[in-house]
Amino acid sequence: MQTEPAIKTPSETLSSHQERQLVEQVLSKDRKATGEFVAFCTDSVYSFVRKRLLPRVELVEDVMQEILMAAWQSLPKFRGDASLRAWILGIARHKTDDYYRRRLREADITEEGGSPADPAVEPLLDRHLDAAVEQDRVEQTLALLPEAYTLALIWRYRDEKSVREMAELSGKTEKAMERLLARARETFRREWNHAQS
Amino acid sequence: MPSPETERQWHTLLADDQESRRPASSSLKGRLYSVLIRSQQETGPLASLDASVANGHGICVFEKLVQIAPVSEAAKSPFFCTACHARLLAEHFDNPPISWAHCPYVQFKT
Repeated sequence: MQTEPAIKTPSETLSSHQERQLVEQVLSKDRKATGEFVAFCTDSVYSFVRKRLLPRVELVEDVMQEILMAAWQSLPKFRGDASLRAWILGIARHKTDDYYRRRLREADITEEGGSPADPAVEPLLDRHLDAAVEQDRVEQTLALLPEAYTLALIWRYRDEKSVREMAELSGKTEKAMERLLARARETFRREWNHAQS
Repeated sequence: MPSPETERQWHTLLADDQESRRPASSSLKGRLYSVLIRSQQETGPLASLDASVANGHGICVFEKLVQIAPVSEAAKSPFFCTACHARLLAEHFDNPPISWAHCPYVQFKT
């Protein structure tokens, strides 16, 4: 069978034809194509996973392995409707959702207690802060929170899950999830302001 | 429940911004590659080096020696990197001092 030259720039975008060709070769267990597959997909998946598992960076490699294994096993189902990277990011999203669901199921979340005040977040932000500096500060602040708070905030605001979805997936009530989020926001705000002062 | 405006501010603050994305280390890519190849081997032999060449891929100097050796196709299918020091270096160090053309681990260097 006539094939196009092998992909030489795996970090760049591939045409859908090149993607299908790469997938076919990986499925045939071509070791070189498998290397290109790893080089092509890993960066985008890594960034996604790392930002969702923070501060538990020690878990990232295991989750990455799970994702690549799942992708390899599911490759026969790849139809090319979405790009290969987007398709693998979908698998990564499922894996990180599994992790969030598992951890929040185990977390002790109650409905009791008064609701903390929930003022707008804007006053705590410096509008002139450089975007990269602000992102670093966000990650540092998230790392200071109890794990359940970090997971809840990322799931809700980075992954844009609804409170209802979060409650259903983690086996909690919506009220309990709202309380968890309120406490998480309050603690985030406190840590953020503490770091500023 | 916070107001919609407050919710929007939290979404903005915690959004996954594209600019701060960081690439995976070369050693992580190397380990992931090795794991994936081992997983492929569990379901049968890898494609031969001849098949890789036919697919348009280059092979490293060590693989070339195997490819031209008068041995069967089956003997050309093992994962030869298992015995190569380049793999060891690549799995344990970021951007290791390896530079052989067509070494799969070299492409992971940043």
